[in-house]
Amino acid sequence: MKIFNYIMNNFIKMIVLIILVCIVTFTLAVNSPIDPIRQYVGSGVTLSVEQRESIEEYWGLNDTKLERFQKWAYNIMHGDFGESLIYRKSVMSVIKDKAMSSLFLMICTFIVSGAVGYLLGLIMGKYRDSILDKILKTICVTFSATPTFWVGILMLMIFSVKLNLFPIGFSIPIGKTMEDVNFYEKVYHAILPIITLTLVFIPNIALHTRSKTIDVLQSDFVLFATARGEKSIMINHVIKNTVIPAITIQFGSFSEIFGGSVLAENVFSYPGLGSTIVDAGLGGDIPLLLGITIIIAIFVFIGNFIADMLCMAMNPMVREENIIG
Amino acid sequence: MKKNFLGLIVFVLMILSLAGCSKGNGNEVVESKESEVNEESEKVLTMAIGSEPDQGFDPVYGWGRYGSPLIQSTLVETNVDMEIVNDLATSYNITEDGLTWTFNLRQDAYFTDGEQVTAHDVVFTYENAKASNSIVDLTIMDSIVAIDDFTVEFKLVKPESTFIYSIAKTGIVPEHKYDDTYGDNPIGSGPFKFVQWDKGQQLILEANEEYYGKVPEIKKVVILFMTEDAAMVAAKTGQLDVAMTVPSLTTVEFEGMTLLNTDTVDNRGITLPVVPNEGLTTKEGYQIGNDVTSDISIRKALSYGLNREQMVEDVLNGYGKPAYTECDNMPWFNEESIVNYDLDKAKGILDEAGWIDANNDGIREKANLNAEFTIIYAAGDSVRQGLALNASEQAKELGISIQVEGLSWDEIDKRMFRDAVLMGWGDQTPMETYLLYNTSNKGVDYYNPENYSNVIVDNYMEEALTTTDSDKANELWKKAQWDGTTGTSTLGDAPWVWLVNIDHLYYIKDSLDVGEQKIHPHGHAWPLVSNLRDWKWIK
Repeated sequence: MKIFNYIMNNFIKMIVLIILVCIVTFTLAVNSPIDPIRQYVGSGVTLSVEQRESIEEYWGLNDTKLERFQKWAYNIMHGDFGESLIYRKSVMSVIKDKAMSSLFLMICTFIVSGAVGYLLGLIMGKYRDSILDKILKTICVTFSATPTFWVGILMLMIFSVKLNLFPIGFSIPIGKTMEDVNFYEKVYHAILPIITLTLVFIPNIALHTRSKTIDVLQSDFVLFATARGEKSIMINHVIKNTVIPAITIQFGSFSEIFGGSVLAENVFSYPGLGSTIVDAGLGGDIPLLLGITIIIAIFVFIGNFIADMLCMAMNPMVREENIIG
Repeated sequence: MKKNFLGLIVFVLMILSLAGCSKGNGNEVVESKESEVNEESEKVLTMAIGSEPDQGFDPVYGWGRYGSPLIQSTLVETNVDMEIVNDLATSYNITEDGLTWTFNLRQDAYFTDGEQVTAHDVVFTYENAKASNSIVDLTIMDSIVAIDDFTVEFKLVKPESTFIYSIAKTGIVPEHKYDDTYGDNPIGSGPFKFVQWDKGQQLILEANEEYYGKVPEIKKVVILFMTEDAAMVAAKTGQLDVAMTVPSLTTVEFEGMTLLNTDTVDNRGITLPVVPNEGLTTKEGYQIGNDVTSDISIRKALSYGLNREQMVEDVLNGYGKPAYTECDNMPWFNEESIVNYDLDKAKGILDEAGWIDANNDGIREKANLNAEFTIIYAAGDSVRQGLALNASEQAKELGISIQVEGLSWDEIDKRMFRDAVLMGWGDQTPMETYLLYNTSNKGVDYYNPENYSNVIVDNYMEEALTTTDSDKANELWKKAQWDGTTGTSTLGDAPWVWLVNIDHLYYIKDSLDVGEQKIHPHGHAWPLVSNLRDWKWIK
């Protein structure tokens, strides 16, 4: 029962969060100086004034801002995300089209950067101030300061152009029809983008884990364990104490990974949600923009929630706090 | 302890390298497949030409208006010399009053699913396009009916001779196979058949062997959607046969590829307010008028006194041509609009008009007003910025001081009625001329922000729209530019100082012949493939 209450509580929090996010996003988008019609029509296209007005009417630009929000909110509550003005299709179908490959990229990055980053953090913490630690630390700091797209272009130039090991982009081979493409080719095309994103996101978790590891190794109980001659301090003590912060951080950086994937998708011409939301924003396509924003908000919230649940599962103290307290 | 931990690391590294090895196998397989494709690539054309249409390949929403819809056919089309020739239609007839247009359709056109193309498909297409609220502007169309299976009749709201150019851009969709997913999987009666579209990545087309016209020689076409930088990377690996590019990237050489620069009407020019500041504002409250540019001698002096060839060299790296109107080299272009660069003549015009530099500060004055004004351009566009700066530099020799400001479009919207703006146009229809110079557009939108109004020009343009004889129409459009006494060109009122036409640049494989290119309109990528069905490989 108690746990049920906990979940319900969180669910309500999520709804409130989404409502707030929607209001803020809508207000910002609607008040932005972008003229969506100009973006949509482009330049050099001859349109009569009549047609322009007709398009404006269709985009709802003649209603007041409050009216537009009301219409949109009303539709959302019925589960209708509306129609994308740029793509002329329902928002849900646009998102579905684009989300699949993005998701694959992001989940792989998430897992790989999490695992490798955590391991690196442990190593750096354990062998603190050794040559290995110094080298890894420098690499981490460098990569965390490097822009994602630059790393992407670097990967492209080295591995695709010079060494010809990987394809230059896209998620499937050029010129191949869908039926001919197999799973391995899909994975093959995803490797460079995943490596790029991983390189950029490992430092975050690695450095955090490193400092947590150092903290644990300097604590009293570890001192006591070493004095007693315990063999597996890393496994018994360090991991148990560092894995929870690591998970929390990793799940918390979910939104950053999403942002990073926008850039990687651009460099590798990889189709995905990232570029879609940029187009929606710059094009003033509010239904699509809000639709994707809601989805992202839900994901981030769920991500953090899962992190909480995992922490509770692993640490009985936290469990008791959350449910009873 | 340490050993255990090190062991763990080594173990992990081994796993990763195993993964690397198996990917290696996949790599070999793909590589050999790629070399197979390369041998066959004599038959597969791979191109990187920019961006995909967001709404899909659906003419109802505007697909195919830049160039040719490829997958669908149009009633008529424009040939290399921009003349109207028949396509789906075998003939057409316009009544004297210009209001009723009747098209007779050919009877051997079929969609790729075997159904015949009939007048009902045409009616369906146009009615849906009109209701689509997209860039397809059919406000001039009052109604369209199928008189019989192969005859279509349009009725217009008022005569508009330029409507034929709009018809030439509208692909016909099948009534029996149309729903809101049509754009993702279209069928048509055009020279190419749709095979597959991977959104954000590639479009695959095949030659339509049942095409009623000349079946394309190139049998399989892959169009990739990538940024210019990514396209350059791909071109380097030899995977592309055509790669669109821009002047700043043309310093690279690709083995086996040559740079093609096509003529365009993708123009840039300066629009200058032609009315003085009399305290009037637009209905949104933006100030109208500029006391300096409203003096016609200033505008004419700029047009004679700016070295357009120099601009092409300096700003476009030579990839362009001087422009003297919005429609250079189109069938309705009046060649008398061309003026030669003549600095002395320009100075003479200013002297005669009373613009003298009395205080020797390099800027001319007249009646206590300095010859200075501002040119605004859309920030972020390096070509426009380059042209504006270049104009400003050159104007110094004339004794005119020009400030240059880069702003966002919504800022420009507010200031364009009182400052000069560097803008670009270029469409394959004279309707653009009408929109740019017509009195009814003045001070309304970005078509005529300079507040230009000339009743004689209006009359020529109205007549051109109502006449049903296309040659006569072209003559009238030319008269609007210059009829011997007045007009929109430099000889006349000079509301615009047109500067350059920007060439479109593409890297093309040496073994590919892309046929004769029409003059490209504004808009870089798709116009190249409007004649795709004529392309062939050179052995």
